[in-house]
Amino acid sequence: MTEDIRALSAQYAADPSSLVFLRLGEALRQRGQLEAALKVALGGLARYPHLPDAHDLYARVLTDRHDFATAFDAWDTVLRLMPHHIGAHKGIGFLYYHAGEPQHALYHLRLAAELDPEDSGLRTAVERVAGGHEIWDTALPEAPPPREEEARAATVSGGEPFVGLEGARDRLLLVDQNGLRLGGGLAGPDGRDVSEEAAAILAGTTREASRAARLLELGEWTHLTLEGAEVGACLLNPTTDTSLLAAMDAGFPAGQLSFFAERAAKAARAWLERVR
Amino acid sequence: MSPAYAPLLEALTRLRGIRGAMVVAAQDGLVVAESLMGGVKGSALAAMAASLTGRATELSSRAGFGVPRFLHLQATDGSLLVAPASGDLVLVAVAGRDVPLGLLRLEMLRMAERLS
Amino acid sequence: MRAIEPWVLGPLRSFVAESSARVALLMTTSGQVVAQHGFTGALDLMAAAALGAAIVASSSELAVQMRWQPFRVMAHLGHRQSHLLVWFETPRGRWVALIVFGSETKLGLVQLFLDQLVDDLVAAAPPEPVQKREVLAADFERELNSSLRALFGR
Repeated sequence: MTEDIRALSAQYAADPSSLVFLRLGEALRQRGQLEAALKVALGGLARYPHLPDAHDLYARVLTDRHDFATAFDAWDTVLRLMPHHIGAHKGIGFLYYHAGEPQHALYHLRLAAELDPEDSGLRTAVERVAGGHEIWDTALPEAPPPREEEARAATVSGGEPFVGLEGARDRLLLVDQNGLRLGGGLAGPDGRDVSEEAAAILAGTTREASRAARLLELGEWTHLTLEGAEVGACLLNPTTDTSLLAAMDAGFPAGQLSFFAERAAKAARAWLERVR
Repeated sequence: MSPAYAPLLEALTRLRGIRGAMVVAAQDGLVVAESLMGGVKGSALAAMAASLTGRATELSSRAGFGVPRFLHLQATDGSLLVAPASGDLVLVAVAGRDVPLGLLRLEMLRMAERLS
Repeated sequence: MRAIEPWVLGPLRSFVAESSARVALLMTTSGQVVAQHGFTGALDLMAAAALGAAIVASSSELAVQMRWQPFRVMAHLGHRQSHLLVWFETPRGRWVALIVFGSETKLGLVQLFLDQLVDDLVAAAPPEPVQKREVLAADFERELNSSLRALFGR
């Protein structure tokens, strides 16, 4: 591990809510550690779903993984949030060029070049796509037509797995196997955000549940229900490498909690399929 | 078995589908009293129940859920149920499939109060 | 993690992973180290092995003198960490385990996986025992140094 990645990782571990994830994700991506870069990017997106640079990082990692369709959606989101984002114009321009659509590529690359006239590499790219230097004297090509959007098309809330579900922000928490939050959030009875505290221990708790079921020869565990004095929670694994916690006030019938959790798990699985 | 716990555990194990019940020292994960059918390994049940209770309690504490009063681990071939009493003791039951979970839960909550 | 005999490593690794033990030391009843995890110094290791074996020997003798059943397990439960001293039979004779653990695990769990470790060691022991030879005084230092090298990778 290079010194910069080590130092950035330490900063990120010390304060997962800081923006250092942008530099860490980019450093990992440049070293070719795409799985780790993706985890960092997703973690950052979950915390900052409206940050253009977070979607930009995500798109760059996706491009390196050759997931061009999802990368396009991510850069599309960036431009919705910030129409003059240079990185997004460059990225989409590259994707259009890769897809054999040079006119659309030229539109974005020229826009990027106008936003950053000092970038000589960008100017060279424009000239290569255009096939000559004369491009600078011509009018900007037409903008590509807006893409047909489906529900998945990297909306502003594209980082949230529980959109539309009650309790999406304070009663449903999704974490990866390292205890890093992927989406949702958890609030205590006093309204305080306890997402990070809960996330840190959630993955370990579900692993212990799995171990208990195995050692006691109970088969595969399906869910763990915990009744607290003030809140009830149901823990389960939507996928083998994620854990979910669904919470309800203690006054609700115990049977409803597992239904709520199953519904949330279904939404989480659908979201994970999209973002992966 | 300690006479204090025998009636309690026998009442639990009489319920349909219960394969074993025990009182466990949660801090150490050791058996205090047990009533188990053949094939149920008491030391493993006590240790895992205590360990899982410890994790769940920590999660509950960090999340502000309050002190856990009941845990239910559901698996494909059975369940583990834990009702913490006061002090260090927890009441543990292991059940097969098709058990009256609602009734079992109520009984365990009542018995945990008696243990307290 | 280091062991004098490689077949010990797998079972010991599983034990440490499952039990979350901080330190694990396997030794013969004469204090010769078989395997260790968590020790950083040769002197600490040798002292622990010698003292652990001595405690087992003296408590066994106490049981004999008092006509009690032998003490198989001795546990010291502390605030910050706890110790377990256990003897068990293997195809290589009687061994002693010294386990140190903290609040991240539980005595019951450590004992549970220690029982599993014993079963795994018995299953993993090679069928042909290593030919014993007398350890002469002149060889002792050489064997000790060789053991320390194996245990600490030096």
